[in-house]
Amino acid sequence: MPILEARSLTKTFRRPDKASGFKGAVKHLMQRKFKNYTAVDGIDLSIDAGESVAYVGPNGAGKSTTVKLLTGILRPSEGTVRVMGRDPHTERIANAHDIGVLFGQRTQLWWDLPVEESLKLLKHMYGVSDADYQRRIAKFDELLDLNEFMPALARTLSLGQRMRADLACALIHDPKMVYLDEPTIGLDISVKDRLRAFLRELVNDGTTLLLTSHDLADIEEVCERIVVIDKGAIAYDGSIERLKAHYITTKAVNLYLEGTADVPALAEKFPDYEWTAGEAPSEVTVTYESGRFTTAEVLGSLTAQLSPRDLSLSEPSIEDVIRRLYAGELTK
Amino acid sequence: MTHALAVDRALVVIAFKRRLAYKSGWIFGLALGGGSMLISLTMWQNLLGDGSLNGYDWASMRAYTIIGFIAATMVFGAADYQIADRILDGHIAVDMTKPVDFQRARAAEYIGSMISTAPTAALGVLGAWLLFDPPGPVTPTAGLLTALSFVLLFPLAFGITYLSVLVCFWTKRYLGIMWLREALLSFFSGLMIPLAFMPGWLQAAAWALPFPHFTTTPSAIYLGRVDTAGALGLIAAEAAWVVGLWYAGRLVFRFAVRKVTVHGG
Repeated sequence: MPILEARSLTKTFRRPDKASGFKGAVKHLMQRKFKNYTAVDGIDLSIDAGESVAYVGPNGAGKSTTVKLLTGILRPSEGTVRVMGRDPHTERIANAHDIGVLFGQRTQLWWDLPVEESLKLLKHMYGVSDADYQRRIAKFDELLDLNEFMPALARTLSLGQRMRADLACALIHDPKMVYLDEPTIGLDISVKDRLRAFLRELVNDGTTLLLTSHDLADIEEVCERIVVIDKGAIAYDGSIERLKAHYITTKAVNLYLEGTADVPALAEKFPDYEWTAGEAPSEVTVTYESGRFTTAEVLGSLTAQLSPRDLSLSEPSIEDVIRRLYAGELTK
Repeated sequence: MTHALAVDRALVVIAFKRRLAYKSGWIFGLALGGGSMLISLTMWQNLLGDGSLNGYDWASMRAYTIIGFIAATMVFGAADYQIADRILDGHIAVDMTKPVDFQRARAAEYIGSMISTAPTAALGVLGAWLLFDPPGPVTPTAGLLTALSFVLLFPLAFGITYLSVLVCFWTKRYLGIMWLREALLSFFSGLMIPLAFMPGWLQAAAWALPFPHFTTTPSAIYLGRVDTAGALGLIAAEAAWVVGLWYAGRLVFRFAVRKVTVHGG
């Protein structure tokens, strides 16, 4: 039984269509023209309870708009959304009790007050008991070092502290469904690691998670399923493992030869592999189809015939696959 | 206390604390507000002398100006721009994910910020009392009814402010709307000049609006320019505006929320 179900979800915005400069501004004042822009175009999405789903796409693909449609902030132009059986827009307040939302670029802390005040206000809003509040704050402190900055004014926090506090705000009521829109944006590596560990624990506890991020390490470390959106439509929906198995069909070996690498000659000698010159004159990259050859076979033939000074293996990452999906080089 | 009231209380308290978070600005406002009233009182003292204009002598004008000052401090000192800013900068997206009625939550915050103006009003009134010795209410009943009309100013001010702030969904700007609202309120409430000084048609236009309840209603009750029945009628009209504006706010929000765009993140 899906906890979230969207059918033919579409959101169209109306944008002013005006030329630049003073003339354009005056003309638009006299003759107002608008263009419709479809941010989300007929998306079908179903998420089961306990799933952790990464929702990725290039800038302007419609990720944040989808999150706002799923959380009830925006009203769909067409299509339907059901979250735990409710329409999140028309039943906004009931839905809000069961969801937690974090927008990486918009804080929910009261800017001019201590972090603790914001959390206490949210405790009242969600009707969290004193005992549950204390228990959750203690857990957040254990995982996110929350008490370190609880008395600090929100506007004095570093970005990493602000994001940890915002995460606590999003989860203080133990929501069943959590939406995280770019939760690691602008954070340094150590804070990212802590946040990812926290999110893994959240998923292990059975919380349903929808995560948007440009950082693919967030996705690989936290999510099992990935949905790629481009130009408002879904370009891929499936497990991360399947994505890798389906699209990562080649592997590569970097060779460091004794002298200058003669790439055309090597390509003629080993026509089953693809050869490209490396950064240094002696460096060359050999790409081979992983379905046709094993790494041992490739290494065996190359080391026997070329006696390289050194070599290294490189496996195309999920990042390469996503990049190619964005570029339209791969299809569903 | 029910859950909804506990949330209202928490929002009132947090809005109050937010205003006090900027201590120097708050203390500056405290001194400035009272100062402008003292200037106004001095002006009327010189203008009226021992005579009267349109039924106001110096004694009644002292009370009128102080009442106008209290109303102005409450209304112009509240944090209407905080609601407008959240609409304009997209933070409304965060508000919409919270399990509270948007309008009710903003009302609680607005009233919390209005309460933070109480020390300014109290200090100004104390100064005026010491320097100008204004008359008391015409009867104890008039005093009580004046207080009641002041209590109704909290939701009335919110109703007008909320409706004007919602216009931001269409205009994408707030400053002009705020200026227009404050100008209309200053003029038609009688804050700038008592309504009795205006021609009949303009007075009729003013009474067709909610603004006279900000100064003219409480001062008329306090000074006995209306009897008890008249006072109750004015308070009933004020209460009707409170209810009407509340539901008008609900109706406009229903359309306004469709305008939410919040592009980019």
